[in-house]
Amino acid sequence: MEKSIVLICEHANGKVSPVTYEIAAFAHELQRLSNGSLIAVVLGEHVQQAAGEIAAATGIDVLGLQIPGLENYSGEIFRDVVSEELPPLDPGYVCIAGTSQGLDFGPSLAVRLRACCISGVERIEDKSGQVVFSRAIHGGKIHANLASAARTTVLIVQPGAFRPMSAGSVKPGSISLKIMDRGSSLTRSIGLKRMQSGGSALAEARVIVSVGRGIGKKENLEIVRRLARMFPRVAVGASRPLCDIGWLDYSQQVGQTGATVTPDLYFACGISGAPQHLAGMRGSKFIVAVNTDPNAAIFNMADVCVVEDVVGFVSDLLKESDGSSEMADKSSPANEAIRP
Amino acid sequence: MRILVCAKQVRDTQAHVSIDQSGERVIVDPSAPSRMNKYDEHALEAALSVKDSLPETVVDVVCVGPSEWAPLIKRALGMGADNGIHIIADDDEYVSPWATASRIASFAMDRGYDLILTGVMSEDMMNCLTGPTVAELLALPYATSCVLVRLDVSRQVVYVEREIEGGLRDCLELRLPALLTVQSGINKPRYPTLSNMMRASRQTLETIDSASIPGPEHTEVLVGLGYPGKIGSGIVLEGSRQEKAVKLLQILREKSLLV
Ligand SMILES: Cc1cc2nc3c(=O)[nH]c(=O)nc-3n(C[C@H](O)[C@H](O)[C@H](O)COP(=O)(O)OP(=O)(O)OC[C@H]3O[C@@H](n4cnc5c(N)ncnc54)[C@H](O)[C@@H]3O)c2cc1C
Repeated sequence: MEKSIVLICEHANGKVSPVTYEIAAFAHELQRLSNGSLIAVVLGEHVQQAAGEIAAATGIDVLGLQIPGLENYSGEIFRDVVSEELPPLDPGYVCIAGTSQGLDFGPSLAVRLRACCISGVERIEDKSGQVVFSRAIHGGKIHANLASAARTTVLIVQPGAFRPMSAGSVKPGSISLKIMDRGSSLTRSIGLKRMQSGGSALAEARVIVSVGRGIGKKENLEIVRRLARMFPRVAVGASRPLCDIGWLDYSQQVGQTGATVTPDLYFACGISGAPQHLAGMRGSKFIVAVNTDPNAAIFNMADVCVVEDVVGFVSDLLKESDGSSEMADKSSPANEAIRP
Repeated sequence: MRILVCAKQVRDTQAHVSIDQSGERVIVDPSAPSRMNKYDEHALEAALSVKDSLPETVVDVVCVGPSEWAPLIKRALGMGADNGIHIIADDDEYVSPWATASRIASFAMDRGYDLILTGVMSEDMMNCLTGPTVAELLALPYATSCVLVRLDVSRQVVYVEREIEGGLRDCLELRLPALLTVQSGINKPRYPTLSNMMRASRQTLETIDSASIPGPEHTEVLVGLGYPGKIGSGIVLEGSRQEKAVKLLQILREKSLLV
């Protein structure tokens, strides 16, 4: 019998997470290269609505596993249930999103299925009859191309790397629901805690001037703020390390664990372009990057690449803009995310 | 309380990297400084702060890697860890994170650790797999991407907050023994102290030959390395710094992006 390609879907509060459609697109691409029937699995306390939406939008058959009490994600229940339910489907591949959920249960699921596990998958290709998965290493400056030597392969897909499947006119997939009684014995879910409302200034901005470790010193943030004032409807964003050290607020973080933004202009100052950062800004319409390293991964995504020291270059840029930024300095303060 | 911290060495992330002629190995600029993987350093700090509040705690550090990495373990002792274990692996070829995890798990199997901490990811290979794989091989409960860790020794549980998307945290309690992977931002790693470094220089590390540990059966194989392709239209500005600034202003004006 042909082996199947299983995708594990994500949803929250009855709504299918957008990343699920990226996984669906990835699974379709994989199917073109390796055959196998697609099956989407969705788990949770209430899955009927999500299962219906996925089946209708993707045309993939859905197995809904309804688990009373599983209000939020539980790594323990996910790996117990999925590792029990998958073997009868004989999966050749299990596709999972590289989110805080997928990266949590995916690796141990692979161990239980005695499967090989490849994370951070950004590309898939047929190389002389072999399916090859490409993932970023060394901050995205190099890609490793890997093939599986196992019967089953768990693929953890980098968020943002595949364009989500758009809801076309497909014949809806079938839906089967299964109610399961499962609890956790070694872990106890306490619930979710909201830390910040999540980058509202970033979401509304037309231009985002974003700063990374390449800025060097905290004092240098001022010049980036001055740069920001050159633009209308602007917000200052940051890479994660700058938020970690408290130079900027976590609400300003762009990326996989920060905000996902799609401004008209994304101006990256001293940001390397790690896949986790790109995940949050690759949808920007125009990208300018300033970095001293000509091989920085951000340049692979940028429309305009400036290989320069960020402080020196931005100083020149401010000077050359006819001192108009000085005037703007007083008239239009940057719409930066407000610190709590 | 017995805590094991898993740590590896990386080259500074800003180092120049290239691919060798075989197309299978990464060459990192040899002049670039080496240091502890930053997420592992946060894991070690989390362990040491437990030791600060519960002085009878023992913190061991295990490192899988070539002999040249021994100074990294000494540095961990300098920061305050009690014992260092070096699983010597001079692999010249691609190493699956599962192989690394097997080596750690086979060492930790019957050492009775209450808590195992790893970084959420290594900065060079970026797999995010080693920690959870170790946990599963040892059948331990685990949580990834922890940004807050609080032990309750009397109840034998650890309370953690995991960072998830959208500015949320997933809060849970795990029964000990457990494994946690630690995310950055959780703490500020301490520097080694002189007295600890002196103790470390006298202390011998426990060494284990990785060849004595069986690896996993089927894993992924490296087909080759490559440079990522360009996605943007990617014009590279040329000329002096000032000329580049003028050029960029022109582009921004043409696109009506300026005030
Ligand atoms: C689970 C997980 C989730 C994550 N989520 C996120 C996220 O949401 N957002 C995020 O940003 N990161 C995230 N990260 C971290 C991510 O992997 C990178 O570590 C981070 O994005 C790097 O930030 P950076 O580019 O500022 O620093 P670095 O990678 O250190 O890059 C600094 C750059 O500055 C350049 N530079 C140095 N000096 C200068 C100079 N004088 N002028 C110009 N350029 C200079 C360097 O060449 C380098 O390219 C996550 C990591 C994990 C494990």
